[in-house]
Amino acid sequence: MRERVVDARWLEPPEPMELTLAALNVLEPGERLRLLIHRTPHLLFPILQEWGYGFQTYDSDDGTYEILIWYKDDAAASGEPAPS
Amino acid sequence: MNGQAGLSLTQAPPIGVPLRFFVTAPLFALAAALVLLWQGPELFSSRWNPAMVGITHMLTLGFMGLVMFGAILQMLPVVAGAPMRRPERVAAVIHAGATAGIILFGFGLISAVPLALKAGLPTLGAALLLFAVLVVITLRRALPQNMTARAMRLAALMLAGTVALGLLLLSNHAFGWWLQAREPLANLHLSWGLLGWVAILIAGVAYQVVPMFQLTPAYPDKLTRWLAPGLFVILLLLAPASQLPVLQFVLRILLAAGLAAFALATLWLQARRRRKLPDVSLNFWRVGMFSLLSAIALWFSGQIVQAMGAWQRYGVLLGVLMIVGFAVSVINGMLYKIVPFLVWFHLQSKNRANAIAIPNVRDILPESRTRPQMWLHFAALGMLLAATFFPAIFTYPAALLFGASNLALWLNIVAASRTYLRVDAQLKQASGHAAL
Repeated sequence: MRERVVDARWLEPPEPMELTLAALNVLEPGERLRLLIHRTPHLLFPILQEWGYGFQTYDSDDGTYEILIWYKDDAAASGEPAPS
Repeated sequence: MNGQAGLSLTQAPPIGVPLRFFVTAPLFALAAALVLLWQGPELFSSRWNPAMVGITHMLTLGFMGLVMFGAILQMLPVVAGAPMRRPERVAAVIHAGATAGIILFGFGLISAVPLALKAGLPTLGAALLLFAVLVVITLRRALPQNMTARAMRLAALMLAGTVALGLLLLSNHAFGWWLQAREPLANLHLSWGLLGWVAILIAGVAYQVVPMFQLTPAYPDKLTRWLAPGLFVILLLLAPASQLPVLQFVLRILLAAGLAAFALATLWLQARRRRKLPDVSLNFWRVGMFSLLSAIALWFSGQIVQAMGAWQRYGVLLGVLMIVGFAVSVINGMLYKIVPFLVWFHLQSKNRANAIAIPNVRDILPESRTRPQMWLHFAALGMLLAATFFPAIFTYPAALLFGASNLALWLNIVAASRTYLRVDAQLKQASGHAAL
Protein backbone atom coordinates (compact mmCIF):
# COMPACT_ATOMS: atom_id res chain seq x y z
CA MET A 1 0.00 0.00 0.00
CA ARG A 2 1.46 3.36 -1.02
CA GLU A 3 1.44 6.12 1.55
CA ARG A 4 1.97 9.84 1.70
CA VAL A 5 3.18 11.22 5.02
CA VAL A 6 2.27 14.60 6.48
CA ASP A 7 4.36 15.51 9.50
CA ALA A 8 2.30 18.16 11.31
CA ARG A 9 3.90 17.69 14.72
CA TRP A 10 4.26 20.97 16.66
CA LEU A 11 2.74 23.11 13.94
CA GLU A 12 0.32 25.81 15.04
CA PRO A 13 -3.37 25.25 14.26
CA PRO A 14 -4.81 25.28 11.69
CA GLU A 15 -1.62 24.41 9.76
CA PRO A 16 -1.96 20.65 10.45
CA MET A 17 -5.46 20.70 8.98
CA GLU A 18 -4.40 22.86 6.04
CA LEU A 19 -1.59 20.43 5.18
CA THR A 20 -3.82 17.38 5.66
CA LEU A 21 -6.63 18.63 3.45
CA ALA A 22 -4.15 19.78 0.80
CA ALA A 23 -2.51 16.33 0.80
CA LEU A 24 -5.89 14.55 0.60
CA ASN A 25 -6.73 16.59 -2.49
CA VAL A 26 -3.79 15.15 -4.39
CA LEU A 27 -4.09 11.60 -3.05
CA GLU A 28 -3.85 9.11 -5.93
CA PRO A 29 -6.12 6.05 -6.17
CA GLY A 30 -4.74 3.29 -3.95
CA GLU A 31 -2.85 5.76 -1.76
CA ARG A 32 -3.32 6.46 1.94
CA LEU A 33 -2.27 9.42 4.02
CA ARG A 34 -0.33 9.02 7.27
CA LEU A 35 -0.69 12.13 9.44
CA LEU A 36 1.78 12.63 12.30
CA ILE A 37 0.40 15.08 14.87
CA HIS A 38 1.07 16.11 18.47
CA ARG A 39 -2.58 16.30 19.61
CA THR A 40 -5.95 14.80 18.71
CA PRO A 41 -7.31 16.84 15.77
CA HIS A 42 -10.91 17.06 16.99
CA LEU A 43 -11.97 19.47 14.25
CA LEU A 44 -10.50 17.35 11.45
CA PHE A 45 -12.47 14.17 12.19
CA PRO A 46 -15.97 15.48 11.37
CA ILE A 47 -14.67 16.97 8.11
CA LEU A 48 -13.11 13.61 7.17
CA GLN A 49 -16.36 11.82 7.99
CA GLU A 50 -18.48 14.27 6.07
CA TRP A 51 -16.20 14.19 3.06
CA GLY A 52 -16.20 10.39 2.85
CA TYR A 53 -12.83 9.49 4.34
CA GLY A 54 -12.12 6.62 6.72
CA PHE A 55 -9.47 6.99 9.42
CA GLN A 56 -7.72 5.09 12.16
CA THR A 57 -5.79 6.68 15.04
CA TYR A 58 -2.70 5.12 16.65
CA ASP A 59 -0.91 6.41 19.76
CA SER A 60 2.85 6.73 19.36
CA ASP A 61 5.25 5.95 22.21
CA ASP A 62 6.33 9.61 22.46
CA GLY A 63 2.80 10.84 23.23
CA THR A 64 2.05 11.98 19.67
CA TYR A 65 -0.47 10.42 17.29
CA GLU A 66 -0.42 8.78 13.89
CA ILE A 67 -3.63 8.94 11.90
CA LEU A 68 -4.11 6.80 8.82
CA ILE A 69 -6.60 8.30 6.35
CA TRP A 70 -8.07 6.80 3.16
CA TYR A 71 -10.90 7.58 0.79
CA LYS A 72 -13.74 5.19 1.56
CA ASP A 73 -14.79 4.73 -2.05
CA ASP A 74 -11.24 3.71 -2.93
CA ALA A 75 -11.36 -0.06 -2.25
CA ALA A 76 -7.64 -0.46 -2.90
CA ALA A 77 -6.73 2.13 -0.26
CA SER A 78 -9.31 1.21 2.36
CA GLY A 79 -7.36 -1.95 3.17
CA GLU A 80 -10.40 -4.17 3.13
CA PRO A 81 -10.25 -7.15 0.82
CA ALA A 82 -11.43 -6.02 -2.58
CA PRO A 83 -14.50 -7.92 -3.81
CA SER A 84 -13.35 -10.61 -6.17
CA MET B 1 -22.58 9.90 5.33
CA ASN B 2 -22.81 7.85 8.51
CA GLY B 3 -24.74 8.72 11.67
CA GLN B 4 -21.93 10.70 13.26
CA ALA B 5 -21.00 12.64 10.16
CA GLY B 6 -21.06 16.38 10.43
CA LEU B 7 -21.65 16.23 14.18
CA SER B 8 -19.02 18.79 15.05
CA LEU B 9 -19.57 20.80 11.92
CA THR B 10 -23.21 21.26 12.77
CA GLN B 11 -22.18 21.73 16.41
CA ALA B 12 -20.16 24.79 15.45
CA PRO B 13 -22.65 27.66 15.27
CA PRO B 14 -22.74 29.85 12.14
CA ILE B 15 -19.84 32.33 12.05
CA GLY B 16 -22.28 35.25 12.45
CA VAL B 17 -22.96 34.11 16.04
CA PRO B 18 -19.54 35.01 17.50
CA LEU B 19 -18.60 37.63 14.89
CA ARG B 20 -21.46 40.00 15.71
CA PHE B 21 -20.07 40.23 19.27
CA PHE B 22 -16.45 40.60 18.12
CA VAL B 23 -17.29 43.37 15.66
CA THR B 24 -19.31 45.35 18.23
CA ALA B 25 -16.94 45.06 21.21
CA PRO B 26 -14.05 47.36 20.12
CA LEU B 27 -16.57 50.14 19.42
CA PHE B 28 -17.37 50.27 23.15
CA ALA B 29 -13.67 50.58 24.01
CA LEU B 30 -13.39 53.31 21.37
CA ALA B 31 -16.41 55.07 22.91
CA ALA B 32 -14.77 54.80 26.37
CA ALA B 33 -11.66 56.52 24.95
CA LEU B 34 -13.82 59.32 23.51
CA VAL B 35 -15.55 59.84 26.87
CA LEU B 36 -12.11 60.03 28.50
CA LEU B 37 -11.10 62.70 25.96
CA TRP B 38 -14.30 64.62 26.62
CA GLN B 39 -14.19 64.40 30.44
CA GLY B 40 -10.46 64.92 30.78
CA PRO B 41 -8.10 64.46 33.76
CA GLU B 42 -10.85 64.96 36.36
CA LEU B 43 -12.00 61.41 35.61
CA PHE B 44 -8.99 59.91 37.36
CA SER B 45 -9.82 61.59 40.66
CA SER B 46 -11.58 58.58 42.18
CA ARG B 47 -13.02 55.19 41.31
CA TRP B 48 -16.39 56.43 42.65
CA ASN B 49 -16.71 59.18 40.04
CA PRO B 50 -19.93 58.17 38.12
CA ALA B 51 -18.33 58.88 34.74
CA MET B 52 -15.41 56.62 35.75
CA VAL B 53 -17.93 53.90 36.69
CA GLY B 54 -19.57 54.42 33.28
CA ILE B 55 -16.26 54.14 31.37
CA THR B 56 -15.28 51.09 33.42
CA HIS B 57 -18.48 49.29 32.42
CA MET B 58 -18.06 50.24 28.78
CA LEU B 59 -14.81 48.27 29.01
CA THR B 60 -15.86 45.41 31.29
CA LEU B 61 -19.29 44.81 29.75
CA GLY B 62 -19.02 46.49 26.36
CA PHE B 63 -15.58 45.28 25.34
CA MET B 64 -14.64 42.34 27.57
CA GLY B 65 -18.17 41.06 28.17
CA LEU B 66 -19.25 41.06 24.53
CA VAL B 67 -16.09 39.28 23.35
CA MET B 68 -16.43 36.68 26.09
CA PHE B 69 -20.12 36.13 25.27
CA GLY B 70 -19.30 35.61 21.58
CA ALA B 71 -16.39 33.28 22.34
CA ILE B 72 -18.44 31.23 24.81
CA LEU B 73 -21.40 30.91 22.41
CA GLN B 74 -18.88 29.64 19.85
CA MET B 75 -17.22 27.17 22.26
CA LEU B 76 -20.31 26.06 24.19
CA PRO B 77 -21.52 23.28 21.85
CA VAL B 78 -18.00 21.88 21.52
CA VAL B 79 -17.31 22.02 25.27
CA ALA B 80 -20.75 20.65 26.17
CA GLY B 81 -20.51 17.95 23.50
CA ALA B 82 -23.93 18.77 22.07
CA PRO B 83 -25.24 21.32 19.59
CA MET B 84 -27.10 24.35 20.90
CA ARG B 85 -30.69 24.98 19.83
CA ARG B 86 -31.30 28.02 17.64
CA PRO B 87 -27.87 29.57 18.20
CA GLU B 88 -28.54 32.50 15.87
CA ARG B 89 -31.71 33.56 17.65
CA VAL B 90 -30.09 33.20 21.09
CA ALA B 91 -27.08 35.23 19.94
CA ALA B 92 -29.30 37.93 18.42
CA VAL B 93 -31.35 38.34 21.62
CA ILE B 94 -28.32 38.44 23.95
CA HIS B 95 -26.35 40.71 21.62
CA ALA B 96 -29.21 43.19 21.15
CA GLY B 97 -30.16 43.23 24.85
CA ALA B 98 -26.60 43.57 26.11
CA THR B 99 -25.63 46.22 23.55
CA ALA B 100 -28.73 48.37 24.18
CA GLY B 101 -28.39 47.90 27.95
CA ILE B 102 -24.71 48.92 28.01
CA ILE B 103 -25.38 52.02 25.90
CA LEU B 104 -28.22 53.12 28.22
CA PHE B 105 -26.18 52.30 31.32
CA GLY B 106 -23.04 54.11 30.13
CA PHE B 107 -24.98 57.14 28.92
CA GLY B 108 -27.06 57.26 32.12
CA LEU B 109 -23.99 57.27 34.38
CA ILE B 110 -21.77 59.57 32.34
CA SER B 111 -24.48 62.15 31.63
CA ALA B 112 -26.33 61.60 34.95
CA VAL B 113 -29.68 60.75 33.33
CA PRO B 114 -31.67 58.51 35.75
CA LEU B 115 -34.26 57.68 33.06
CA ALA B 116 -31.58 55.98 30.92
CA LEU B 117 -30.49 53.97 33.97
CA LYS B 118 -34.08 52.95 34.69
CA ALA B 119 -34.48 51.73 31.10
CA GLY B 120 -31.04 50.11 31.00
CA LEU B 121 -31.47 48.20 34.25
CA PRO B 122 -34.04 45.58 33.07
CA THR B 123 -32.60 45.35 29.53
CA LEU B 124 -29.03 44.73 30.63
CA GLY B 125 -30.03 42.56 33.61
CA ALA B 126 -32.24 40.31 31.48
CA ALA B 127 -29.61 39.85 28.72
CA LEU B 128 -26.76 39.08 31.14
CA LEU B 129 -28.77 36.75 33.37
CA LEU B 130 -30.19 34.95 30.32
CA PHE B 131 -26.65 34.35 29.13
CA ALA B 132 -25.43 33.11 32.55
CA VAL B 133 -28.39 30.71 32.88
CA LEU B 134 -27.87 29.43 29.33
CA VAL B 135 -24.21 28.59 30.07
CA VAL B 136 -24.93 26.92 33.41
CA ILE B 137 -27.75 24.80 31.92
CA THR B 138 -25.97 23.88 28.66
CA LEU B 139 -22.83 22.77 30.46
CA ARG B 140 -24.59 20.42 32.85
CA ARG B 141 -24.09 17.75 30.17
CA ALA B 142 -20.32 18.33 29.82
CA LEU B 143 -17.97 15.56 30.88
CA PRO B 144 -16.92 15.93 34.53
CA GLN B 145 -13.22 15.66 33.61
CA ASN B 146 -13.50 18.64 31.25
CA MET B 147 -11.80 21.35 33.32
CA THR B 148 -12.61 24.11 30.82
CA ALA B 149 -16.33 23.30 31.07
CA ARG B 150 -16.08 23.32 34.86
CA ALA B 151 -14.34 26.71 34.93
CA MET B 152 -16.78 28.15 32.39
CA ARG B 153 -19.73 27.06 34.49
CA LEU B 154 -18.31 28.49 37.71
CA ALA B 155 -17.47 31.73 35.86
CA ALA B 156 -21.07 31.97 34.62
CA LEU B 157 -22.35 31.53 38.21
CA MET B 158 -20.01 34.33 39.26
CA LEU B 159 -21.39 36.45 36.39
CA ALA B 160 -24.92 35.87 37.70
CA GLY B 161 -23.83 36.95 41.21
CA THR B 162 -21.97 39.99 39.84
CA VAL B 163 -25.01 41.03 37.80
CA ALA B 164 -27.37 40.64 40.78
CA LEU B 165 -25.13 42.87 42.92
CA GLY B 166 -24.67 45.27 40.01
CA LEU B 167 -28.43 45.62 39.51
CA LEU B 168 -28.84 46.38 43.21
CA LEU B 169 -26.15 49.06 43.07
CA LEU B 170 -27.51 50.43 39.80
CA SER B 171 -31.05 50.70 41.19
CA ASN B 172 -29.44 52.83 43.88
CA HIS B 173 -28.26 55.31 41.21
CA ALA B 174 -31.41 55.02 39.09
CA PHE B 175 -34.01 55.51 41.80
CA GLY B 176 -31.97 57.65 44.16
CA TRP B 177 -32.45 55.60 47.34
CA TRP B 178 -29.61 55.32 49.84
CA LEU B 179 -28.01 51.92 50.22
CA GLN B 180 -26.26 51.64 53.57
CA ALA B 181 -23.87 48.87 52.55
CA ARG B 182 -22.97 50.45 49.23
CA GLU B 183 -19.20 50.29 49.59
CA PRO B 184 -18.84 46.64 50.75
CA LEU B 185 -21.40 45.55 48.11
CA ALA B 186 -19.54 47.47 45.40
CA ASN B 187 -16.28 45.82 46.50
CA LEU B 188 -17.91 42.38 46.38
CA HIS B 189 -19.40 43.17 42.93
CA LEU B 190 -15.95 44.15 41.72
CA SER B 191 -14.23 41.06 43.18
CA TRP B 192 -16.83 38.66 41.80
CA GLY B 193 -16.78 40.36 38.41
CA LEU B 194 -13.04 40.71 37.84
CA LEU B 195 -11.64 37.81 39.87
CA GLY B 196 -14.61 35.45 39.48
CA TRP B 197 -16.25 35.85 36.09
CA VAL B 198 -13.25 37.30 34.20
CA ALA B 199 -10.24 35.58 35.80
CA ILE B 200 -11.85 32.13 36.23
CA LEU B 201 -13.06 32.25 32.63
CA ILE B 202 -9.69 33.35 31.25
CA ALA B 203 -7.99 30.55 33.23
CA GLY B 204 -10.47 27.95 31.96
CA VAL B 205 -10.05 29.06 28.37
CA ALA B 206 -6.26 29.26 28.79
CA TYR B 207 -6.14 25.52 29.69
CA GLN B 208 -7.23 24.90 26.07
CA VAL B 209 -5.89 27.75 23.98
CA VAL B 210 -2.40 28.28 25.46
CA PRO B 211 -1.16 24.70 24.82
CA MET B 212 -3.03 24.52 21.49
CA PHE B 213 -2.03 27.82 19.84
CA GLN B 214 1.26 28.51 21.60
CA LEU B 215 2.48 24.87 21.46
CA THR B 216 3.36 24.73 25.14
CA PRO B 217 3.16 21.73 27.48
CA ALA B 218 -0.24 21.28 29.19
CA TYR B 219 -1.05 23.14 32.43
CA PRO B 220 -0.30 21.03 35.53
CA ASP B 221 -3.23 18.75 36.42
CA LYS B 222 -3.40 20.03 40.00
CA LEU B 223 -3.79 23.61 38.81
CA THR B 224 -6.55 22.87 36.28
CA ARG B 225 -8.37 20.69 38.82
CA TRP B 226 -8.29 23.01 41.84
CA LEU B 227 -7.80 26.61 40.72
CA ALA B 228 -11.30 27.42 39.43
CA PRO B 229 -13.26 25.70 42.25
CA GLY B 230 -10.80 27.12 44.82
CA LEU B 231 -11.20 30.70 43.57
CA PHE B 232 -14.97 30.21 43.36
CA VAL B 233 -15.31 29.05 47.00
CA ILE B 234 -13.02 31.81 48.31
CA LEU B 235 -14.98 34.44 46.38
CA LEU B 236 -18.27 33.14 47.79
CA LEU B 237 -16.86 33.26 51.32
CA LEU B 238 -15.97 36.94 50.82
CA ALA B 239 -19.70 37.75 51.16
CA PRO B 240 -20.19 36.59 54.77
CA ALA B 241 -16.62 37.69 55.63
CA SER B 242 -17.32 41.35 54.80
CA GLN B 243 -17.79 42.12 58.52
CA LEU B 244 -14.69 40.16 59.62
CA PRO B 245 -11.55 42.04 58.53
CA VAL B 246 -9.07 39.31 59.49
CA LEU B 247 -10.91 36.54 57.63
CA GLN B 248 -11.41 38.92 54.71
CA PHE B 249 -7.65 39.55 54.58
CA VAL B 250 -6.81 35.81 54.72
CA LEU B 251 -9.30 35.06 51.92
CA ARG B 252 -7.87 37.84 49.76
CA ILE B 253 -4.34 36.55 50.31
CA LEU B 254 -5.50 33.10 49.12
CA LEU B 255 -7.17 34.68 46.07
CA ALA B 256 -4.00 36.59 45.22
CA ALA B 257 -1.92 33.41 45.62
CA GLY B 258 -4.24 31.45 43.31
CA LEU B 259 -4.18 34.11 40.60
CA ALA B 260 -0.39 34.51 40.92
CA ALA B 261 -0.03 30.72 40.50
CA PHE B 262 -2.05 30.92 37.28
CA ALA B 263 -0.01 33.86 35.91
CA LEU B 264 3.33 32.24 36.81
CA ALA B 265 2.27 28.85 35.38
CA THR B 266 1.24 30.54 32.11
CA LEU B 267 4.54 32.44 31.80
CA TRP B 268 6.48 29.28 32.69
CA LEU B 269 4.63 27.22 30.04
CA GLN B 270 5.14 29.95 27.44
CA ALA B 271 8.88 29.95 28.15
CA ARG B 272 8.81 26.21 27.32
CA ARG B 273 6.90 26.46 24.05
CA ARG B 274 8.03 24.24 21.20
CA ARG B 275 8.62 26.86 18.54
CA LYS B 276 10.08 30.07 19.75
CA LEU B 277 8.78 32.21 16.90
CA PRO B 278 7.69 35.81 17.51
CA ASP B 279 3.93 35.96 17.89
CA VAL B 280 1.62 38.94 18.46
CA SER B 281 -0.93 36.95 20.43
CA LEU B 282 1.77 35.56 22.72
CA ASN B 283 2.99 39.11 23.47
CA PHE B 284 -0.54 40.13 24.45
CA TRP B 285 -0.72 37.14 26.82
CA ARG B 286 2.63 37.94 28.37
CA VAL B 287 1.79 41.59 29.00
CA GLY B 288 -1.53 40.38 30.43
CA MET B 289 0.18 38.01 32.86
CA PHE B 290 2.75 40.62 33.94
CA SER B 291 -0.08 43.11 34.51
CA LEU B 292 -1.92 40.56 36.67
CA LEU B 293 1.25 39.94 38.71
CA SER B 294 1.83 43.71 39.05
CA ALA B 295 -1.76 44.20 40.23
CA ILE B 296 -1.27 41.47 42.85
CA ALA B 297 2.04 43.03 44.02
CA LEU B 298 0.44 46.48 44.17
CA TRP B 299 -2.57 45.20 46.11
CA PHE B 300 -0.28 43.40 48.57
CA SER B 301 1.87 46.51 49.07
CA GLY B 302 -1.28 48.53 49.73
CA GLN B 303 -2.22 46.10 52.51
CA ILE B 304 1.16 46.49 54.20
CA VAL B 305 1.86 50.18 53.60
CA GLN B 306 -1.18 52.01 54.99
CA ALA B 307 -0.43 55.27 53.20
CA MET B 308 -0.45 53.52 49.84
CA GLY B 309 -3.77 51.75 50.42
CA ALA B 310 -5.29 55.06 51.49
CA TRP B 311 -4.07 56.89 48.34
CA GLN B 312 -7.16 58.07 46.50
CA ARG B 313 -6.02 56.80 43.09
CA TYR B 314 -4.82 53.39 44.38
CA GLY B 315 -8.14 51.79 43.31
CA VAL B 316 -7.92 53.41 39.87
CA LEU B 317 -4.37 52.14 39.36
CA LEU B 318 -5.40 48.60 40.37
CA GLY B 319 -8.34 48.89 37.96
CA VAL B 320 -6.13 49.99 35.03
CA LEU B 321 -3.75 47.08 35.65
CA MET B 322 -6.51 44.47 36.01
CA ILE B 323 -8.86 45.70 33.29
CA VAL B 324 -6.68 47.23 30.55
CA GLY B 325 -3.39 45.49 31.45
CA PHE B 326 -4.65 41.98 32.21
CA ALA B 327 -8.12 41.36 30.75
CA VAL B 328 -8.16 43.64 27.68
CA SER B 329 -4.65 42.48 26.65
CA VAL B 330 -5.45 38.77 26.92
CA ILE B 331 -8.81 39.18 25.16
CA ASN B 332 -7.24 41.24 22.36
CA GLY B 333 -4.58 38.54 21.93
CA MET B 334 -7.18 35.78 21.88
CA LEU B 335 -9.25 37.59 19.25
CA TYR B 336 -6.23 37.46 16.94
CA LYS B 337 -6.24 33.65 17.16
CA ILE B 338 -9.98 33.04 17.21
CA VAL B 339 -11.15 35.38 14.41
CA PRO B 340 -8.81 34.23 11.59
CA PHE B 341 -9.23 30.62 12.71
CA LEU B 342 -13.04 30.81 12.54
CA VAL B 343 -13.00 32.57 9.16
CA TRP B 344 -10.63 29.95 7.76
CA PHE B 345 -12.48 27.00 9.33
CA HIS B 346 -15.95 28.02 8.12
CA LEU B 347 -14.67 28.68 4.59
CA GLN B 348 -12.60 25.49 4.48
CA SER B 349 -15.45 23.27 5.67
CA LYS B 350 -17.55 24.54 2.74
CA ASN B 351 -14.80 23.90 0.22
CA ARG B 352 -15.39 20.16 -0.25
CA ALA B 353 -14.82 20.18 -3.97
CA ASN B 354 -11.62 22.20 -3.49
CA ALA B 355 -13.26 24.66 -5.85
CA ILE B 356 -11.13 27.65 -4.88
CA ALA B 357 -8.02 28.39 -2.82
CA ILE B 358 -8.97 29.41 0.72
CA PRO B 359 -6.66 32.11 2.15
CA ASN B 360 -4.68 30.84 5.12
CA VAL B 361 -4.92 32.37 8.59
CA ARG B 362 -1.87 34.57 8.06
CA ASP B 363 -3.49 36.13 4.98
CA ILE B 364 -6.84 36.57 6.73
CA LEU B 365 -5.30 38.66 9.53
CA PRO B 366 -1.68 39.45 8.60
CA GLU B 367 0.88 40.45 11.19
CA SER B 368 1.39 43.73 9.32
CA ARG B 369 -2.08 44.65 10.64
CA THR B 370 -1.96 43.08 14.12
CA ARG B 371 1.54 44.14 15.21
CA PRO B 372 1.02 47.95 14.92
CA GLN B 373 -2.26 47.59 16.84
CA MET B 374 -0.41 45.63 19.55
CA TRP B 375 2.09 48.50 19.99
CA LEU B 376 -0.76 51.01 20.13
CA HIS B 377 -2.36 48.97 22.92
CA PHE B 378 0.87 48.67 24.90
CA ALA B 379 1.55 52.40 24.51
CA ALA B 380 -2.03 53.16 25.61
CA LEU B 381 -1.58 50.94 28.68
CA GLY B 382 1.65 52.75 29.62
CA MET B 383 0.00 56.15 29.19
CA LEU B 384 -3.08 55.14 31.20
CA LEU B 385 -0.84 53.98 34.06
CA ALA B 386 1.07 57.28 33.87
CA ALA B 387 -2.25 59.17 33.81
CA THR B 388 -3.25 57.75 37.20
CA PHE B 389 -0.12 59.45 38.65
CA PHE B 390 -0.09 62.63 36.54
CA PRO B 391 -3.57 63.02 35.04
CA ALA B 392 -3.01 66.58 33.85
CA ILE B 393 -0.17 65.53 31.54
CA PHE B 394 -1.06 62.02 30.42
CA THR B 395 -4.89 61.77 30.23
CA TYR B 396 -5.21 63.12 26.67
CA PRO B 397 -2.37 61.11 25.09
CA ALA B 398 -3.69 58.02 26.93
CA ALA B 399 -7.22 58.56 25.57
CA LEU B 400 -5.93 59.17 22.03
CA LEU B 401 -3.73 56.06 22.05
CA PHE B 402 -6.41 53.85 23.57
CA GLY B 403 -8.93 55.12 21.02
CA ALA B 404 -6.50 54.56 18.14
CA SER B 405 -5.70 51.05 19.40
CA ASN B 406 -9.36 50.05 19.49
CA LEU B 407 -10.15 51.67 16.17
CA ALA B 408 -7.29 49.63 14.65
CA LEU B 409 -8.58 46.46 16.37
CA TRP B 410 -12.07 47.11 15.01
CA LEU B 411 -10.74 47.69 11.48
CA ASN B 412 -8.75 44.44 11.73
CA ILE B 413 -11.79 42.40 12.74
CA VAL B 414 -13.90 44.06 10.06
CA ALA B 415 -11.21 43.28 7.46
CA ALA B 416 -11.22 39.58 8.46
CA SER B 417 -15.04 39.51 8.32
CA ARG B 418 -15.00 41.09 4.86
CA THR B 419 -12.53 38.44 3.70
CA TYR B 420 -15.01 35.83 4.88
CA LEU B 421 -17.88 37.43 2.94
CA ARG B 422 -15.77 37.82 -0.21
CA VAL B 423 -14.44 34.25 -0.27
CA ASP B 424 -17.84 32.84 0.74
CA ALA B 425 -19.37 34.60 -2.29
CA GLN B 426 -16.64 33.09 -4.50
CA LEU B 427 -17.40 29.65 -3.06
CA LYS B 428 -21.10 30.04 -3.79
CA GLN B 429 -20.31 31.18 -7.32
CA ALA B 430 -17.97 28.22 -7.87
CA SER B 431 -20.49 25.70 -6.56
CA GLY B 432 -23.14 27.36 -8.76
CA HIS B 433 -20.88 26.80 -11.78
CA ALA B 434 -20.27 23.19 -10.71
CA ALA B 435 -24.01 22.57 -10.48
CA LEU B 436 -24.64 23.85 -13.99
